[in-house]
Amino acid sequence: MSAALTRIFAIARITFIEMARLRVFYVLVLFALALVLGSSFLARISFQQELQVTEDIALGAVNFFLSLLAILITAQLLPRDMEDRVIYSVLAKPVTRFEYMLGKFLGVVALLSVSAIAMSLLCVAIIHLREQTAIRETMAQMAQSTPADRAAALRGVYEAGAMNRLSAALAAALAKGIILAALTLCVSSFATSSVFTISAMAMIYLVGNLESVARDYWLHQQVPSVLARAFLAVVTFVFPDLQAFNLTDQLFAGAVLSSDLLLRLAGLAAVYTASYLLIAMAFFSQREL
Amino acid sequence: MSEAAVRLDNVSKVFPVPLRRRVNVALRDLNLEIAPGEVYGLLGPNGSGKSTTLKIIVGLVAPTRGRVTIFGRENSVVATRRDIGFLPENAYFHKFLSGEETLRFHAKLGGVPAGGIASRANELLETVGLTHARHARLGTYSKGMLQRIGLAQALIHKPKLLVLDEPTAALDPAGSHDIQNLITSLKREGATVLLSSHLLTQVQEVCDRVGILHRGKLLRQGRLGDLLGVANQTELVLENAPAELLAEIEREIEASGARLIARRQPQSSLEQFFLNVTGQPDE
Repeated sequence: MSAALTRIFAIARITFIEMARLRVFYVLVLFALALVLGSSFLARISFQQELQVTEDIALGAVNFFLSLLAILITAQLLPRDMEDRVIYSVLAKPVTRFEYMLGKFLGVVALLSVSAIAMSLLCVAIIHLREQTAIRETMAQMAQSTPADRAAALRGVYEAGAMNRLSAALAAALAKGIILAALTLCVSSFATSSVFTISAMAMIYLVGNLESVARDYWLHQQVPSVLARAFLAVVTFVFPDLQAFNLTDQLFAGAVLSSDLLLRLAGLAAVYTASYLLIAMAFFSQREL
Repeated sequence: MSEAAVRLDNVSKVFPVPLRRRVNVALRDLNLEIAPGEVYGLLGPNGSGKSTTLKIIVGLVAPTRGRVTIFGRENSVVATRRDIGFLPENAYFHKFLSGEETLRFHAKLGGVPAGGIASRANELLETVGLTHARHARLGTYSKGMLQRIGLAQALIHKPKLLVLDEPTAALDPAGSHDIQNLITSLKREGATVLLSSHLLTQVQEVCDRVGILHRGKLLRQGRLGDLLGVANQTELVLENAPAELLAEIEREIEASGARLIARRQPQSSLEQFFLNVTGQPDE
């Protein structure tokens, strides 16, 4: 392994351990797990709907808490190291600021991934259990029905709990968390306090979740000029289109998540993340310590 | 002639004050040269620019004007830091790591080969006297222990230049004495040491040369003997001298036309007395 990679992974590992010890991490993860666990109790309507509502609540919880975790944890990375002066002993070694930032970011990505896996496992287990219950109860209720009707009802249950679409929605939630972490790091690279970073990110999160609605409304109401399109492009860059990564609605509506759509989402996430990281590094390289 | 370990040419640093139309001038046209193997003490009151100077040398802060070289290389090149070990003022490290884990982390950052990290960490824990606390978390360390682990992390990659910002500040006399001994032994091994302090007695004991910084300007610098020696006076310290001999010497002095200014019994320092009384307490 090259010396630069060794340094980056050493910083990422320490960041992971440091962030995993924060109280806010435990509180958020436990709260998210509790909500995922409780989702099946919140959704007792009918077998099929219950399964769908369970999915909706569980995926919503994973989505929201991963985003919250990404913002709250990343916002503390730089201010903590600067206040504690840990950054001095790190950057006094042959470590570039690029390596330092990348290491920090990868540490957060690792933490988000572990959290996403923990939440996803619980989510999948809950949905699988609900699916099994729904199958048993459907079979019992339709004992007198024709085999064709029973097969159709079971198909409905299986479709409601399709695991491959669930996995895609969970991966999209993680991608959204990673974009938010990169953007938080970007804001943090010039902000003077974590309070400012968190406030700015709360606004960006809100705008990012609503902008697609506003954009669609605007584009459909009038023929946009070049200036208006440029403005929309800037807004879409500064405020990432977070709604694009929320696949719960499509899942709930039974839409097909094509591999083309998933690839486009992965590309969008990569472009957003790389752009925000580059800007963060440009700001941080000029920052006085 | 060998390359200077540290060389600052006309270095100035100006910090703009945000939202105000004024600036803070931390350093003004600082020229400084430290030879390899030398122990140099940078003295000055709080706010004189000592820490800024050290941060500029280490590469943490960029100078507004001027040039800094470390063993002949521009210090803006990150690779230069392979030659530098830095102990920040009131250094904090990750409290959740143990002493040994801290050294392993910094060894990786410093480019110590993977196979040599464990032995180097052991060696330094022994050197700074923290072998017994190697598995304890830094959150449980005393200030003296933190300062010693800080020194160990600065030394982990065997730097040629050691930069220490107030290395003995906030330490008790025993802890301070340990750090002084470490600096002296590093000097014997050929390391170059640059330290800042406002504790003048300690600087006097370990430094070859000192510079006095005040409001960002280097007012005086030189060898301690040159700066502190009184040119026209001589000090004789005798052991077991009988009263007759002393009387004879005084008569000779009078006869020669010289003037005896003081006759007194030499005293050890209060610090030495304290160390003798308390011994070397374990941390």
